Amino acid sequence: MEVSNKSSKGKLIASGAIPFVFLIILIAYIFGPGSELLDLGVPLPDISMEKVDFLNSEIQVTVRNTGPISVEIAMADINDRIQPAAVEPDRYLERYETALVRIPFEWNEAEPYRIGITIEDGTRFEKEIEAAAPALEPSLELFGFFAIIGTYVGIIPVMIGLLWLPFIRRISKQKYHFFLALTAGLLLFLGIDSVEEALEVSDESLAGSFNGVLLVATVLILSFLGLYYTGEKLVSRAKSSRITKPVAIALMISIGIGLHNFGEGLAIGAAVGLGSIAFSTFLIIGFALHNTTEGIAIASPLSREKKVIGKLIAMGLIAGAPAIFGAWIGGFVYSPFTSVIFLSIGAGAIFQVIITILKWIREEGDKNLSSAAVASGFAIGMIIMYLTSILV
Amino acid sequence: MKIKSRSGVMMMSMFVIIAVSVLFVAIPEGINAQQEENVFVTHSGAVVKTTGEVLDPLYTSATVEFDPMEYLRDFNYGRISQLDDNTTLREFTIIANDDEIMEISPGIFYNVWTFNGTVPGPTIRVTEGDIVRVKFINNGEKEHTIHFHGIHPAGMDGVFEPVGGNGGQFIYEFEAGPVGVHPYHCHVMPLEEHIVHGLYGVFIVDPKEKRPAADEMVMVLNGLDTDFDTENNFYAANTIPFYYQHHPIQINTDELIRVYVVNMVEFDPINNFHLHGNLYKYYPTGTDIVPSFYTDMITLSQTERGIMEFEYQYPGKYLFHAHKVEFSEKGWVGIFLVNENKKSIESEEYGS
Repeated sequence: MEVSNKSSKGKLIASGAIPFVFLIILIAYIFGPGSELLDLGVPLPDISMEKVDFLNSEIQVTVRNTGPISVEIAMADINDRIQPAAVEPDRYLERYETALVRIPFEWNEAEPYRIGITIEDGTRFEKEIEAAAPALEPSLELFGFFAIIGTYVGIIPVMIGLLWLPFIRRISKQKYHFFLALTAGLLLFLGIDSVEEALEVSDESLAGSFNGVLLVATVLILSFLGLYYTGEKLVSRAKSSRITKPVAIALMISIGIGLHNFGEGLAIGAAVGLGSIAFSTFLIIGFALHNTTEGIAIASPLSREKKVIGKLIAMGLIAGAPAIFGAWIGGFVYSPFTSVIFLSIGAGAIFQVIITILKWIREEGDKNLSSAAVASGFAIGMIIMYLTSILV
Repeated sequence: MKIKSRSGVMMMSMFVIIAVSVLFVAIPEGINAQQEENVFVTHSGAVVKTTGEVLDPLYTSATVEFDPMEYLRDFNYGRISQLDDNTTLREFTIIANDDEIMEISPGIFYNVWTFNGTVPGPTIRVTEGDIVRVKFINNGEKEHTIHFHGIHPAGMDGVFEPVGGNGGQFIYEFEAGPVGVHPYHCHVMPLEEHIVHGLYGVFIVDPKEKRPAADEMVMVLNGLDTDFDTENNFYAANTIPFYYQHHPIQINTDELIRVYVVNMVEFDPINNFHLHGNLYKYYPTGTDIVPSFYTDMITLSQTERGIMEFEYQYPGKYLFHAHKVEFSEKGWVGIFLVNENKKSIESEEYGS
């Protein structure tokens, strides 16, 4: 009995390992003796200029080798005019390696520039900047400025939205379901918004080799699954512990919105960093109006709870404060890659929250997701978000 | 206690968000260790330090594969012999190649097609009425020819007689004329490709009555399209961008300077030549011995060429460049360094 058990275990391991062994042999063969057979076609070099900073009398470009072969940076130009420059740490870039190209240049604010990098085979790559604006130097003042913006667009609107709680509390169950569905609608819009933003950033600033769309999809689904799993854990534990299910759901919502607002903060910080002139008080007002609705999303599930003031404040902070951190990061150390990642995580989190809410409405209500209250709530949620988004 | 555990969860999530944020603030693109510093000078004269490498189209004579300074005053008079009727026969051998990779600007490598291994090819210099015999050997992969501008029989025109690669041969023979400065280039289709890769050179026909003695030089204005988008990435006088800017051409005050200029730039319809601190007498195509213009600016279309003559009165550094500034900022710029003339030094003998 024991022997046969052992041998079957051995068989199990062997049957699992054998395909791997063959795979390793295949790879070794392709890299080794078989490489000549596959030596077809001409690999073309590719680089991406991920970031352009306008400093005092100098333009700095972060260049990444995003092609299949290593490259050497040989020359830099501004507006197709060759400039002496420096490359740090050195001109040799392996795949995915980055270097900083420093081009001394007396640039003019708000003027467009085309930055060119030529590599050793004479291929020139170009990146167009719509309007030059001084790069932000981290300072206490700016730090505070971003904190204030983050507070305006993140924390305060969410808190204001939470003030609808007493109102939602007094309404009938039907209307309550309407508000829950409204929340789902708001969130669906935010989720789609995040995905769109992530795709836009990856399209503009990430090299093709990152597979932008698939990167967004993968991170989004991983984030969704991760939060779905932990969320379910939290909710099921809620049954036995002191946290009630609505609190658990509200917490999940605020974490999801927090991740989303982090992405929003990144966008705002980056917009200031890139000197987008359109960023103004009007934009802040737009974001604020838009984000007030997020407060409703958190308040709705909590409306049947008692003694919620403390929880509300905490959740408001969880949902709103990340906008501040996002603004800091976006303004000071913007990278399109982190931006895409966070926006995707935020989208995944939001979709997870939507599922949770819908499940809850279904359980709470009459196992029915097609009631007039739910359908209209969902629809109105989307419409509100669309209308407030026009302001942004 | 109850509140504590609940807020504990919230505190945890807050903490995670803060931790992630701090991480990204604290570690931007990695930390650069202090290394020895390199220094370079910008166009506007500022000195910039870097811990990395300098990207500057600044050649040193040690690294240059083709020496524009040598080419500048290098005239090939051929193997000279007298024919029975007492005319002079000048024999040349020109070998075409199309597989050479040359560092045309620091760090940038380009497949040049060459006559006798250089771009431009050798400057061929003869006297009007000489018999010119050019033995052409094509060691390239593709078909090539030599098409001389000037007067010659149709069969010597280098258009309808493509010379096969890998050792194909042809002998071009004709009587030199007219007097002037002319280009020669490959005339195989696609012509643009054969020209822009570098198959061209200068053909000077001197008058029998020699021009006055002078410090003579050849400048081929050319461009290089290194990424094949039918726009030049570089422009230059004699192929290497910025070369004469970093290695000024030394001349003397009160000495006649004669420049044979040939424009071989493709893609851009015109080129031009502006001289600082001076004006020059200009002889279009060099066919006349009376100058047509006295100017500091001429415009040159494709293969348009001429002879310039000038003397500097004051010593110092003088720029010469395309006044189409795009071209000069992509390499077609140079400096004459005018030295005080020691009267004892006689100017170079003309011809030989």
